[in-house]
Amino acid sequence: MRRVVVIGGGVTGAAIAYDLSLRGFRVTLLERGSAGSGTSGRTHGLLHSGCRYVADVEVARECYSENQILRRIAPYLFEKNGGLFVAITEDDLRYKEFFLEKCEEAGIPVREVSREEALRLEPNLNPQLKAAVVVPDGTFDPLKVILSFLASAKKYGADIRLYNEVRGFRVGGGEVKAVKVLDKVSLREYELEADFFVNATGAWANKVASLAGLHVPVKPSPGVMVALDGRIGNMVFNRLNKPGDGDIIVHHRGTSVIGTTSWVVSDPDEVTAPKEHVELLLRRGAEMAPIVSRMRVKAVYVSSRPLIGQAAQTGREISRSFAIIDHSSEGVSNFFSIIGGKFITARLMAEKMGDVVCEHAGVTAPSRTAELPLVPYWHFYG
Amino acid sequence: MRLVVRRWKEGWRAPRYDVFEVEADPSESVLDLVERVSLKLDPTLTFEHACHHGVCGACGMVVNGVERLTCVTRVGDVARNGVILVEPLHGFKVVSDLVVDKSRMFSRYPDDTRTLERVAAQVEKLWDCVECGICYSACPVACSYPSYLGPSVLAWAFHRAVEEGRVPAPVASRSGVWSCHAAFDCSEKCPVNFQPGEKIMRLRRLLLRGAVEVV
Repeated sequence: MRRVVVIGGGVTGAAIAYDLSLRGFRVTLLERGSAGSGTSGRTHGLLHSGCRYVADVEVARECYSENQILRRIAPYLFEKNGGLFVAITEDDLRYKEFFLEKCEEAGIPVREVSREEALRLEPNLNPQLKAAVVVPDGTFDPLKVILSFLASAKKYGADIRLYNEVRGFRVGGGEVKAVKVLDKVSLREYELEADFFVNATGAWANKVASLAGLHVPVKPSPGVMVALDGRIGNMVFNRLNKPGDGDIIVHHRGTSVIGTTSWVVSDPDEVTAPKEHVELLLRRGAEMAPIVSRMRVKAVYVSSRPLIGQAAQTGREISRSFAIIDHSSEGVSNFFSIIGGKFITARLMAEKMGDVVCEHAGVTAPSRTAELPLVPYWHFYG
Repeated sequence: MRLVVRRWKEGWRAPRYDVFEVEADPSESVLDLVERVSLKLDPTLTFEHACHHGVCGACGMVVNGVERLTCVTRVGDVARNGVILVEPLHGFKVVSDLVVDKSRMFSRYPDDTRTLERVAAQVEKLWDCVECGICYSACPVACSYPSYLGPSVLAWAFHRAVEEGRVPAPVASRSGVWSCHAAFDCSEKCPVNFQPGEKIMRLRRLLLRGAVEVV
């Protein structure tokens, strides 16, 4: 049986461990912290309809298709209450025609509703709103989605090693032979050999790859989120305009989260939330839902997106789609990195990563993650 | 600011307490502080965390003697004389440092557990319970009686009983609602006001009246 080491216990690594276990690989997943303790755990928890990315129809279509698959394989993980795109200003209103056209092109079922209808659905929206469109958004608790992928991987034999940090690699003969690991539970260092290594560490991908002398063009792009002490709606509130700062409010369990901002850093371990970002988010949030200005802030947090580095200057212009890097051009044939993507495209990213590993291993088993129901998160324990 | 952390690793005969001197802003969360120590001062420090905004339940710890969800606990609100002591939750087996094994809670979930509640005809919602385990740590029974099903699991069972008119036999047994001592520490410490204690009492009343079937 071919052995694969997956590095990274975020949603992407968890989904890859599941995909490859299902295809018959012997998978070990290594994560330096707890499950979802990096970027994925700190998402705002939006099950994207794809409408946010309609400027790129391919990305929007991909999001919508994954949205539908996730609802099918794990309906119990998602609050499936839909979302609203609302126009507040004349400038927002001018975006509407383009938005509706692109949603249709991407095959996303949306429906324009009257101002009265929108306010009936969500009374906390700004009563001055000029237009509203209902979209198939949803929300989730990120950790439970990640744990469900891990529980599913475990069911098919994957060995999930949390608190096991990669410290280096043994490289030789054009291959990575083994990974050097620090087990923080027992304070033991060990080496683990494998046939393939998948680097699914997202914003940390270059830090990890550089331990093997390799390079990953990832641009860690943090975004600030502000969680309110209370829930102000059920459907996701989106600003009907091009994606920008503070243009979304996501509700789940007992909270509403205003997202987000975007900048670029070199080290995702050195990030804090700038105070002015918090003020901006609260101000922009209050434009969509005036009640925001009367709410207590429960938490402020930052999450670093693993965007694909190009010549772009700021985080937002970088492609939202994902990339798989085969490091054979750098002289290592069995090491792959995966960056970019969205939380909710993790299953698709894992499928494509699985295809690449299978091709190298000469395995023909197809991905089955889109059909099989996901194992509920509580099975991860015990 | 002085952060004191209870440390224990596999194979150690006894835990020890490590002291870290750190710069801290009173408005930041205890979790931010613990994470910073793990990134800057001691990478072997292990703890559980994910959402950092109070919805996932990963980061429950005992902070200066009180169970808290550390991501929504501000340093300035809990520090005493510039000291914060963090320890793992009680009532669970310690895995490493601040990480505990929450199996005793999650392994009690029936396979058809309802994770979503319907709050209106068209609206579904994940339960307010974030499954953090704080109620187990706070409960005098859960900490001394390992077979006890535990506050949050019984509170979930209460909602099922109301919805479906029946409960599984273990819920109505000695390891279920009848072991509760009505201390209400679970409700007192619950970070989301899920009120497990009150729900256990209500489930007892339903059982005594014969209003729910035991299956």
